[in-house]
Amino acid sequence: MSAIELDGVGFRYPGAGTEALADVSVHFRAGEVTWLYGAVGAGCTTMLLVAAGLAPRHTGGELAGSVRLLGADPAAPTSREALLGRAAFVTATPVLQLSGVAGTVWEEVAFAPANLGWTRERIGIAADAALDRLGVGQLRERDPASLSGGEMQRVVLAGMLALTPDVWLLDEPGAALDHAGRRTLAGLLAAEAARGAAVVIASEDADETLAVADRVVVLDGGRVALEGAPASVLAGEEIWTRGPGSTSVAELARRAAGARREPVDALAAPYPLDAAEGLRRWT
Amino acid sequence: MNGRSAPLVARAHPFTPLVLAAAIVVLAFALPAPRGPMALYAATAALVALAGAPRALITGAIVCLPLWFFLFILHVALRGGDGLDAALAQGARLGAIATASAALLRSFRPSRFLDAMAVRGLSFHAAYLIVATLQSLPRLRARAHAIQEAQRARGLRLRGAPLGRLRALVPLTLPLMLGSLAEVDDRAMALETRGVAARRRTPLAPPSWSGWDVLACSAAAAALLLALGWRVVSP
Repeated sequence: MSAIELDGVGFRYPGAGTEALADVSVHFRAGEVTWLYGAVGAGCTTMLLVAAGLAPRHTGGELAGSVRLLGADPAAPTSREALLGRAAFVTATPVLQLSGVAGTVWEEVAFAPANLGWTRERIGIAADAALDRLGVGQLRERDPASLSGGEMQRVVLAGMLALTPDVWLLDEPGAALDHAGRRTLAGLLAAEAARGAAVVIASEDADETLAVADRVVVLDGGRVALEGAPASVLAGEEIWTRGPGSTSVAELARRAAGARREPVDALAAPYPLDAAEGLRRWT
Repeated sequence: MNGRSAPLVARAHPFTPLVLAAAIVVLAFALPAPRGPMALYAATAALVALAGAPRALITGAIVCLPLWFFLFILHVALRGGDGLDAALAQGARLGAIATASAALLRSFRPSRFLDAMAVRGLSFHAAYLIVATLQSLPRLRARAHAIQEAQRARGLRLRGAPLGRLRALVPLTLPLMLGSLAEVDDRAMALETRGVAARRRTPLAPPSWSGWDVLACSAAAAALLLALGWRVVSP
């Protein structure tokens, strides 16, 4: 079942000469982690904003085509209330996602459930579970503004997790996280997809995202350039010409192949994508 | 923080400091000058110290110092001024208002205030408007400090001749304004995805009215009525 449906979607920011999205048709399924992959300016962030119903309402600009989030138009005032709390939206800058009104981390995580009018008991259970899941339970009495960027991003993620959303829209969520934090995030996203949520993550980090994604949608100049299973899309040669490149192991193989005078089968495309695959191929 | 050992100002109902600060602003202009404003300043200082926010006294005085100086020059030192009484009255008004505002800012806990508003069934938007207004000053100050440090690291000289200092204001204020505007958009989106448009918010820890809160608000109301009544009947 598709949780998000974009059909013939075009989007142009105010005053922009070119479209940020051009005739994009792509569906995001429940229970699947979809990876939006593209170079800076490819349209990944815009696609997330449009899917969440935040663009053009907050950004200005012109939207064309059809956008359905959980079966409803996310921009329509009538469906906005029904969609409250059902779609999580996380960006790379945690400091701008804090409510600014919570005195403690626990209050920060409880902020959204409280807004939705949940009972205090339900809020308490959800907030405690979310804090523990993100490994920040020990920070619950701290002032959110005093946290490091990585801690803050975990708290933001916990705040969204407390809502048990049907859809996750994440824009470079690992940017502020350390390696352990990114591992926690990957586990969280996989678990959320297994629960039945649709997860859409925009990331330029091919090495980290490869492991968690079920499907990759490569954007180039606001259009869908490639789409499919990450292992097949990222191992090919086309990702280097139409996309932002592939994993560091694939890059190593490709450069090594280019440096040889004679073609070598072990280095030719499809390239290995991670160290384990590379070792299997080369040893 | 809200236990018995916490200062009175931290334990008070979130509406009490707001009511008192508003009453002090009105009383500063309603009471007969110069003794009224001077007594009000003294009472405000005593109240703030007793409530456990003595640093607000210092903040208020620091804010007022240059203004007091100008009032003295204007009314006392220069010929044609309104005299010492006028300087004392205006200075005391400023002192009372600045001290009350500083105490309000120091004691303000946004989450408790939101809970109090939610208990009253008031909308999040109205509450957030008040919270954002009260928090704008410390937030701007923190951002300005960060920008100042960043620009200094890039070689901006903030000391020296007055003209040079004036020139340095541009690279400090421009990012401050642009950053604040951009932050508004990002925060609005973040808040929307966290359900602030929902109709009914659950107060996480509903604040209660203590005897002190009732006494303080009643006293403020009585003082206001008396002062305004005196204003009406006095010639």
